[in-house]
Amino acid sequence: MDRRQFFKTTTASLFALGAVSQADRVLADQIAERLQTDWANPVRHAESVDPALHVLNRITWGARSEDRAKIAEMGIESYIDWQLNADAIPDPTVEQVLADYPVLNDPFAEVALQAEEDYGAVYTAKQWDRIARAVYSERQLYEVLVEFWTDHFNVPIGDLLTQKFIEDRDLIRPNALGSFRELLLASASSPAMMRYLNQASSDKEFPNENYAREVMELHTLGVTGGYTEADVKALARILTGWTVNEYANRMKFDSDMHDSDEKVLLGRTFPAGRGVEEGLEALDLLASHPATARYISSKLCRKFIQDQPPASIVDSTAQVFTDTEGSIRAVVKHILMSAEFAASEGMKFRRPFEFYVAVLRALRPALKWTFNENMLWVTELLGQMPYRWEPPNGYPDVAGAWISASLLLIRWNFALTFPVANEGWYGDEVRIDWSKLSDGRPMSTLRHILDRAAELIVPGKLTEAHYAAIQDAIAYDGLGFDDPIPEDQFEARLTMVIGLLFASPGFQWK
Amino acid sequence: MNAKQITSRRNFMDKAFGAGVFGLNKALFPSWMPRLAFRDNTAPGDVLIVVFLRGGMDGLNAVVPFGEGAYYYDRRPTLAVPEPGKGENAAIDLNGFFGLNPLLRPLKEIYDAGALTVVHATGSIDPSRSHFEAMEYMEKGTPGDKSRLSGWLNRHLISAAWQNNSPFRAVGLGASVQGSLRGDYDAMSLQSIADHHLNGRWDQIAHMKRAIASLYQIDQPVNPLEATAAGVYKTVDLLASMTEAEYKPENGVEYSDHEFSKALNQIAQLIKAEVGLEVACVDLDGWDTHENQEGQFAYNLGELGRGLSAFYTDMGADRMKNVTVVTMSEFGRRVEENASRGTDHGHGNCMFIMGGGATGSVYADWRGLAPDALDEGDVAITTDYRDVLSEILTKRVLNPAVDQVFPDYSATIHDILKAR
Repeated sequence: MDRRQFFKTTTASLFALGAVSQADRVLADQIAERLQTDWANPVRHAESVDPALHVLNRITWGARSEDRAKIAEMGIESYIDWQLNADAIPDPTVEQVLADYPVLNDPFAEVALQAEEDYGAVYTAKQWDRIARAVYSERQLYEVLVEFWTDHFNVPIGDLLTQKFIEDRDLIRPNALGSFRELLLASASSPAMMRYLNQASSDKEFPNENYAREVMELHTLGVTGGYTEADVKALARILTGWTVNEYANRMKFDSDMHDSDEKVLLGRTFPAGRGVEEGLEALDLLASHPATARYISSKLCRKFIQDQPPASIVDSTAQVFTDTEGSIRAVVKHILMSAEFAASEGMKFRRPFEFYVAVLRALRPALKWTFNENMLWVTELLGQMPYRWEPPNGYPDVAGAWISASLLLIRWNFALTFPVANEGWYGDEVRIDWSKLSDGRPMSTLRHILDRAAELIVPGKLTEAHYAAIQDAIAYDGLGFDDPIPEDQFEARLTMVIGLLFASPGFQWK
Repeated sequence: MNAKQITSRRNFMDKAFGAGVFGLNKALFPSWMPRLAFRDNTAPGDVLIVVFLRGGMDGLNAVVPFGEGAYYYDRRPTLAVPEPGKGENAAIDLNGFFGLNPLLRPLKEIYDAGALTVVHATGSIDPSRSHFEAMEYMEKGTPGDKSRLSGWLNRHLISAAWQNNSPFRAVGLGASVQGSLRGDYDAMSLQSIADHHLNGRWDQIAHMKRAIASLYQIDQPVNPLEATAAGVYKTVDLLASMTEAEYKPENGVEYSDHEFSKALNQIAQLIKAEVGLEVACVDLDGWDTHENQEGQFAYNLGELGRGLSAFYTDMGADRMKNVTVVTMSEFGRRVEENASRGTDHGHGNCMFIMGGGATGSVYADWRGLAPDALDEGDVAITTDYRDVLSEILTKRVLNPAVDQVFPDYSATIHDILKAR
């Protein structure tokens, strides 16, 4: 059937499509309530699902053979527990690859100074920080959650480079696996967020409703969470005085700016005469509201399970959220150990950034590279450069937002051209040492290459038909599938195999 | 110094993604033909280009009701645009009451030529001041009702009486299709004509192209990803032939480097190549000026004016008789400025209509800005935007089925435009 006919059968999914620009802020989860169906055909290529591989596909940025060995050794539940206890996992490789970027550990004043002198250097350092951790960190699940919360409490970089730089390191990351309430408070008191959503300039004479609205609509209750325009106005008044000490890059409470009259928020009276504590109480009220438990749970279920998660798992997760008072660890563990999770193999589409990282992780042992501008700007071309989503709702997390003709073509092109990096197409700083991928097995025929590469790149995801299509293409110019490959053709044939696997449907779904 | 100045992204794009470096075998593609006619393209009316100004454009400062006197000037002590004649930043008089923000100066010529109309105190009547919600209502064409799953433009494409099976019939410029274009009818998203092709080693590209076609079952797609892949293949071949010859805008025009201008440039090319384009959507972001409005707003208005006028000039007055460009924004902004030298979300706004049906005038059912005329401090909406779009559809695009395009709504035609 053509695309139009296909969509006739799943019209329900259409307005679940977000968009990769400020263009469309339709949040799929607002629609999720009304939708019954997910993609009609979950893309499941494997004949049987390897549950350990499925876990790795969802909680890492790409399953390497080391990861598969580790989960086999530990067992699934222990592996998940190990990953959830991220602080206890040593991360020497990350420290190594970030060693050339000392600014990442500098205090605010120092970072600000460096950004004054060379904005680009600081910007690049922060982008590399995100990419390097996704590719090289042992704390893979933690990095997945850092990205999730970065989207959830979105603050775009740009005019707020230094503030967001610090916010990520000092406010989001330390709380990404802790309590939701603490994370919400960290975001609410973050100079980056307070500047971005105009909280810092909101005062009793002219209360600015921007943050008050978004903290309810996007960060806690959700747009269907039952707040009214009056609640937005009340919360804006409650939060007046929450402002920023620009020089120290810290929140400060300015009682002269604060409206201390009585307010009513979500049915609760906030008596007159109070200061910063009423803002804290309001945030507490939001964090512990049942609509928040539901909304956050549905987003996490979308992240880890499927775009339209079954109501059963959203319900049970919301219960865990409430019972544990918003323990992110408990909630994530519950999701990962659920039957709904186990049944969702192949149903999540890889967003552009995770596609990019997955390519790098698959080639990681062979990558000989220094991060350069080409590798930086690829993420923008692919459609998901970190920290560059402008509206507060963060990069969308549904397949429909990322499946478009333009983005698909660019994705294919990266898949096909990155393996040819040795030709210099991504700069002189990027090379691939293919000898590092052979692991001792013979690699002298096209069959060897395809089998080894498929195991590395798309384990359990290459159907017979896919295999045949690639087999047919790589045997061009009369080279037999089992013939020894001439020395001077080896790299060309190898890069073609690898490119086609990265471009294949199996690599796009996890 | 901003992010875009760090490096020349285009340098990289030329190196890694430009056709030249990879030595694409030009023999694989047909040479460019100036006109590629699709047999079933029988659209009788204007090409419709819908520009969405995202973030809530401040219509009161774009087209200024200077005639309001104190009601406007007292409420905007730092932001108000001076009356015509009062200095170099003064409004450009349009009709003795409304004036054009001087940053939109390029549009004045078009207005004087009778090819630009302004509609004021218009917009989507739903009171939501949430960007997300207001955009959704406006693009769905059903203010207050989220139940529909299609956008108004998609319903127009389906309800139109003529056939057009060109894959370029409806194009959303950008990474993915705008909300107004979503629905059963499959519109195309396009970022740039020149970049719309597969890359790789020249001696492998044909084989890789075949392999990917097979991997994605583009002859029989069974899921959205495969269906999208099939769409890519259809368009790659066609656009390849368009990029063979380098496009030069006509009449001495130079489009700016801004995404908005580049998008309009793409549309001009598609129209001139006669590939069956009927509807195009373009976005211009960044209008949400809560703080220090002057800088950001000036930047955006400058781009809006430059982009629209470059497009108009490149197309030429004759071609523009068969084109309608309409702008809209999810809401306007409050009459009164806020404490941060900005404005908060408002209601009534202005729309620009450029092209064939325009009349060089300002249409507004104007109630004034006296406090009792306002809608809780905001400009009231006295002309529903659906009336404006319905008039465009019936008189210019020649699709009278507006009851299907805007369900549960009975449009009034205010005779703002000339019929085709």
